[in-house]
Amino acid sequence: MLQGVNLTVYKGETVAIVGSSGSGKTTLLSLLAGLDLPSQGEVYLKNKPLHQLNEEERSQVRAEHVGFIFQQFLLVNSLTALENVMLPAELANNANAKQEAQALLAEVGLSDRANHFPSQLSGGEQQRVAIARAFITKPDILFADEPTGNLDKQTSNHIADLLFDLNKLYDTTLVLVTHDLSLAKRCQRSVEMKSGQLVTQLASQESHTEQTENEVLNQPIDPTNIKSANA
Amino acid sequence: MSILKASWVKQSIRLFLHELKRGELTIIILAIVLGVASVFSLAGFSGQIKQALINESTSFIAADRILQSSRPLSAQESEPLNLTAMQEQSKQLDIARAEQVLMSSMVFAGDNMQLVELVAVSPKYPLRGELLVRKNANTGAVETKHAPAQGTVFVEDKILSLLQVAVGDSLEIGNTSLVIAGIAEQIPDASFSVFTSGVKVIVNIADLKATNLIQPGSRVTYKYLFAGSTNNINKLDEWLKPKINDAQRWYDIQSRQSPLANALNRAEKYLSLASLLGIILAAVAVSVASRRYGQKHQSSVAVYKAMGASLAHIRKLYALHWASLSLFSIVIGLVFGYLLAQLGLYAIQDYLPIQVAQTATDVADTSVFSLTLVPLGIYPLVMAVLTGLVCAIAFALTPLKQLIATSPLAALRDENTLVKKDGLTARFWQVLPPLSALFLLLVLFSRSIMLSVSLLLAGILVSALLLVIGRMLMSVSRVVGSKSGAAWHLAMANLKRRAAANSVQLVSFTIAIKLLLMIVVIKSALLSEWQAQLPEQAPNLFLVNIANEQTQEVEHFINQNGIVASDLYAVIRGRLTAINTDIIAKQVTKEQDEGNDNGRQGVGRELNLTWRTQLPKENTIAQGAWWSEQSTNAEVSIEESLAKRLQIKLGDTLTFQLGSDTIQVPVTSIRTVNWQSMQPNFYMIFSPAVLADFPASYIASLYVSKDKKQLMQQFLVNYPTISLIDIDGMIEQLRKVIEQVSTAVEFILVLVVLAGCLVLVAQVQASMEEREREIAILRTIGAKGALLRNSVLFEFIALGAIAGLMASVAMELTVYLLQANLFNMQTSFHFDFWLLGILAGACFVGLVGLLSCWRLINMPSVTLIRRTM
Repeated sequence: MLQGVNLTVYKGETVAIVGSSGSGKTTLLSLLAGLDLPSQGEVYLKNKPLHQLNEEERSQVRAEHVGFIFQQFLLVNSLTALENVMLPAELANNANAKQEAQALLAEVGLSDRANHFPSQLSGGEQQRVAIARAFITKPDILFADEPTGNLDKQTSNHIADLLFDLNKLYDTTLVLVTHDLSLAKRCQRSVEMKSGQLVTQLASQESHTEQTENEVLNQPIDPTNIKSANA
Repeated sequence: MSILKASWVKQSIRLFLHELKRGELTIIILAIVLGVASVFSLAGFSGQIKQALINESTSFIAADRILQSSRPLSAQESEPLNLTAMQEQSKQLDIARAEQVLMSSMVFAGDNMQLVELVAVSPKYPLRGELLVRKNANTGAVETKHAPAQGTVFVEDKILSLLQVAVGDSLEIGNTSLVIAGIAEQIPDASFSVFTSGVKVIVNIADLKATNLIQPGSRVTYKYLFAGSTNNINKLDEWLKPKINDAQRWYDIQSRQSPLANALNRAEKYLSLASLLGIILAAVAVSVASRRYGQKHQSSVAVYKAMGASLAHIRKLYALHWASLSLFSIVIGLVFGYLLAQLGLYAIQDYLPIQVAQTATDVADTSVFSLTLVPLGIYPLVMAVLTGLVCAIAFALTPLKQLIATSPLAALRDENTLVKKDGLTARFWQVLPPLSALFLLLVLFSRSIMLSVSLLLAGILVSALLLVIGRMLMSVSRVVGSKSGAAWHLAMANLKRRAAANSVQLVSFTIAIKLLLMIVVIKSALLSEWQAQLPEQAPNLFLVNIANEQTQEVEHFINQNGIVASDLYAVIRGRLTAINTDIIAKQVTKEQDEGNDNGRQGVGRELNLTWRTQLPKENTIAQGAWWSEQSTNAEVSIEESLAKRLQIKLGDTLTFQLGSDTIQVPVTSIRTVNWQSMQPNFYMIFSPAVLADFPASYIASLYVSKDKKQLMQQFLVNYPTISLIDIDGMIEQLRKVIEQVSTAVEFILVLVVLAGCLVLVAQVQASMEEREREIAILRTIGAKGALLRNSVLFEFIALGAIAGLMASVAMELTVYLLQANLFNMQTSFHFDFWLLGILAGACFVGLVGLLSCWRLINMPSVTLIRRTM
């Protein structure tokens, strides 16, 4: 599905992967995050060769370094907002999971909704919970798959603000897949997928100026790197 | 870190509690609960019922076991079975004993005399059942009694008029005189035999010696009665059986060829079968529900994995989750099942007194009625827990494995990784654990490998056939559907499109409906057969000893009063002396033994012979042919079981001694006889040419309604030699037992139906989830609520109807086999139940489907879409 893809994402960078449906955006994301394995090629995350790791080892890498935000929010339906946020922290055996989750919920403005179940929350609220959940482990890199895909325009903007604000606050590397160009423009860099190939890599003007004070842009470390993947 | 603080434990328990509260686990819990509860209650209930029925029916022989002999048990210790050893053994096993001595004797009161059947009993008689005694002919008060006090007797009603005596008068019996202390209303071991029952007089065994009636050569029957717990009785059985000699018999109620024993045996089989079907249904419910459980938790597992949870973490988390779920359900199931069994027992306690076995040490309370809680024993508990565990483990293994193997990719891609196409071998390994688990349960429960294997094999075969036929039928419906309205069109299109998923559904619908139909059909067949055995106007009187010259008058009386009666049968006493050239050795005659007409003694006694031109109604020819009406040949027709026992074949020549005459007759037919019909039945029926000229007395069975009984008695006053045997009391007792059995059977039926309904609900619920998204989409593109509702409704109705149809066919086959092999009943076809199956299937599945989707359809589209995302 993917061919000749060569992509490096630097620490602290925000990168948007854009492209039409079926262009391989999500496949690329799943490879970057170690959810899937390339049939050929190499993937490094924090210098760890994901392509050589088994499922368990990749899980370990994800637990240590990665956060996720999904298009369908994917909250665990039978857990409350607070418990959903606590989950990754608990997986990491964080003793203060609850307090930190509460603090994060407050940051996304959902303190009063902490004990609601996902079905009792609106789409925007669910995604805010998902964002809080993604940040609780202070991941090195955050992957977002169409984070606003299921939301209306206004909510989308709100979610995007939140995402970028927290991203800045926690100094996280962000890779997001979207076909929403306005969202892509808020990233420092956009790459476009077409029929499984990476066609263009362009720095977004808008986000460039926004991110100039963020000095990590050209940090020499190579946190995430994918080379000629064939998935 | 202690294990309780481990994050997987916390998460697992949290998930479990939340899901429990939110009702997400309801169906799976219900399935396990129902499985456990139905096994617990069925095992407990039917165990109690069986025990109670046996208790109730043992009252027909007044004991659990009887040792019968023509001589008293020897006191010499050199005999293998001597009195001391037997007493010792009974004592050790805590078994209650009683003794009975039976003989015929003349009884005098003033100038009147009467031949009676004298029953001398020891103080503890009866050990089972009740001897009901009325103090006075006029007052209705009836008391439960044991043996009459020394010096007194209980007599049957008829004695009073025959001897012109009243309660308080004395009777002369042998050399002594005994006072009538009461009228025996119900004698528990009154026999069904019509030839031997005389009027009974019950005396205390201690008075027997004084009568001096027992002389060398007297024809006396000694009975030793035993009662105790099943376990101990079985031990006694093992101990005693090898020791009995030829002159002794050892029997229980079920070994008697009585209508009752037959009804009991079938009821017992039915109860076991119903329990087995209950288990299968519960197992199907669990497997349906666990599949759904797996699918529901898939996205959570994907999220966990995406967030980096290790496989071990997820495995532990879900293992604990499933374990909590199972344990919770099993406990609830046990509580529920216990209550259910108690409720059932409570509901039928009026019909069926649950008797606590009377033991040697506790004689006082003969029958303790279960008012509150009956201890159900350990067996149902073990079985129920085992069922719960086996179901929870074996049936959930594959779904759980698949669940844990969910790829983290599922978080990104909306793909149902659970419904992967597996290879045949993989599928085989998936169905192996549940099938072996089911087999294990069936064997444990039925304790019959044969029955389990046949049920399982039949099940697998039927399922495979169903899968194929179901798909074909759905294709056909699709073609039909496309020609109907939009809702039907959509419904049938859906049906076809989801054929793979639906055919699995269809199989479980079909199995559920089939098992339900089966249990209903067998129930009604059993009940109707029992009722046929005791029709409204079953003969309740026998006229015995009608002289040849009286026959016309008797027939006249019968016709005049519109009394339903059998033909008059000639009775000629005769002895079978030789088969072909083999002379039959003479044995001790025991004519007074009860059950003579059932012929347990075999040859060696006098037989009641008769002659007929036509084959009697309740008889069918098994081999050979019945003689023509004009036949002048000497022929005899012999009853099948006797022929088998004496190894008599068609064409053999039998020699009979009738008084001073000797006759030789060839066997020209072998008959089967319905011994359960309350008709005069005979082992040997001769052609008219042989016996018509012999002097005979006649016998007839009649149904005389209560209001005509007086008339009957008046008529008989003119014919003092004719004996009247009233079996109303016995028939009433038999009717009661059959009623009890029927009630028990119906209660079990309700439980099984509940299990079946749960399977249907679970299956519909499971499929509902699968179609949530589709409804959401249709809703969004503007499909009207009515259209959606109807399309779902029609789809389920069609599914239900197809399942009903297939279930009916499958049921018919199974019932045929069961009736023929398990129940030994007449096979029958039940096309009216086909309609019931189809209609019930369509209505129930349609209704449940509609109810489940009602909520979905009436939700705002937005909510619906969000739910399914």
